[in-house]
Amino acid sequence: MERYVIIGNGVAGVTAAQSIARARPGVDLHIYAAEPYPYYRRPQLTEYIAGVIAEADLFYRPPEWYAQQGIRVHLSAPVAELDPRAYRLRLANGMGVPYDRLLLATGGLAWKPPIQGANRKGVFTLRTLDDARAIRQFAQSVRRGVVIGGGLLGLETARALRTLGLDVTVLEIAPHLIPRQLDREGAAVLEALLRQMGIRTVTGGVAEAILGDSTVRAVRLQDGQEFPADLVICSTGMQAEATLARQASLAVNQGVVVDEFLRTSAPDVYAAGDVAEAGGMVYGIVPAAIEQARVAAANMVAPGSATYSGTLPATTLKVVGAELTSLGECVAEGEDLLQLRRADPKNGRYRKLALRNGRIVGAILLNEREHTSPVRQLMERGTDVSAWIDLLMEENPDWSRLMT
Amino acid sequence: MDKWECMVCGYIYDPAKGDPSRGIPPGTPFEALPEDWTCPDCGATKDMFERV
Repeated sequence: MERYVIIGNGVAGVTAAQSIARARPGVDLHIYAAEPYPYYRRPQLTEYIAGVIAEADLFYRPPEWYAQQGIRVHLSAPVAELDPRAYRLRLANGMGVPYDRLLLATGGLAWKPPIQGANRKGVFTLRTLDDARAIRQFAQSVRRGVVIGGGLLGLETARALRTLGLDVTVLEIAPHLIPRQLDREGAAVLEALLRQMGIRTVTGGVAEAILGDSTVRAVRLQDGQEFPADLVICSTGMQAEATLARQASLAVNQGVVVDEFLRTSAPDVYAAGDVAEAGGMVYGIVPAAIEQARVAAANMVAPGSATYSGTLPATTLKVVGAELTSLGECVAEGEDLLQLRRADPKNGRYRKLALRNGRIVGAILLNEREHTSPVRQLMERGTDVSAWIDLLMEENPDWSRLMT
Repeated sequence: MDKWECMVCGYIYDPAKGDPSRGIPPGTPFEALPEDWTCPDCGATKDMFERV
């Protein structure tokens, strides 16, 4: 019987295993996981740090679930080596594992920037449950936290630390927060929202050194500013965990390079999720991991049966509880664009519409839940809204007047 | 009407609330959501949800 082996127990690994088990009931199917835990919900780790949910709530799949699906899961079983010519893995404990088809779903690692002092005690990254446990424990006994990196994860982490009662400062290298989804004016509203939560943001500054002795004391920016800190979290991005693939001389760029069938450069070895580079992109988002896992699984079972053509990033993000929708040319500048803006920092609301020739071609909506769908429709229909400029900027426009 | 939970991130779809920002009015059962509807929190597809 053919033997299917998956390395990695996150969204990509588990989704692929489920797909294979459904397509081939009773097949010889294994997951090897470096971590000691069954599948847990990584996106909820910040809520766990904050104490909003219990650790047990992270575990959605009880250990028995795997067996019920016909999946054999091997926990605390890191893979040390891949030999694609011999169709064989070697585990860290020395055991050899043969395969007929292999999926690399090893995910990513938190990337720590080369900042002086980044290895001091009290400096963390957040990727795994063990990271989250360590942060939660350390945070109980300290007062001041600095988060380096103001992306979505950085901001969520800052919020978690704040919930635990720390003074929190977020340092972001870009001139304003979330620059791909927010313009400067919108970012100012988000910063006001964070300030109301008690989180300070400092943008446009490059962290140069983490100061201290045995433990951390402060973070210094290149311009000399210092921010006192007992706890520092580096939230500066993810990198594909491609160690095995590299050692086995597979094609690796930012991630393990895969084709439209999710095949790597080695025969019968596939990759999916945060470890994979598909179409030149390491996506690092959940929907891409799911889609890639399904396509990889389909091809592992029946080669050539499915293709992957990329994943469109979600247009709506949750940012520290706020709902942010960014559509079309949301941060574009240009003389041919008419930018209509409505900022309500007190209520954390922001609406920006970019019009070209009377049509909405871009939009940013922060905490504008009830207006998001109408704006999206007007954009998709290409409705000429030039006679309705005042209405568009009302607090609560009567959209039905435009929808006829 | 049943609530459905996202296996990836724990978001719970509540039919009583719907998903207004994407044009899903309150009172829409999970089964009636468009096939391309995704989890508002993490983007997981509809079939990653389970009834709770």
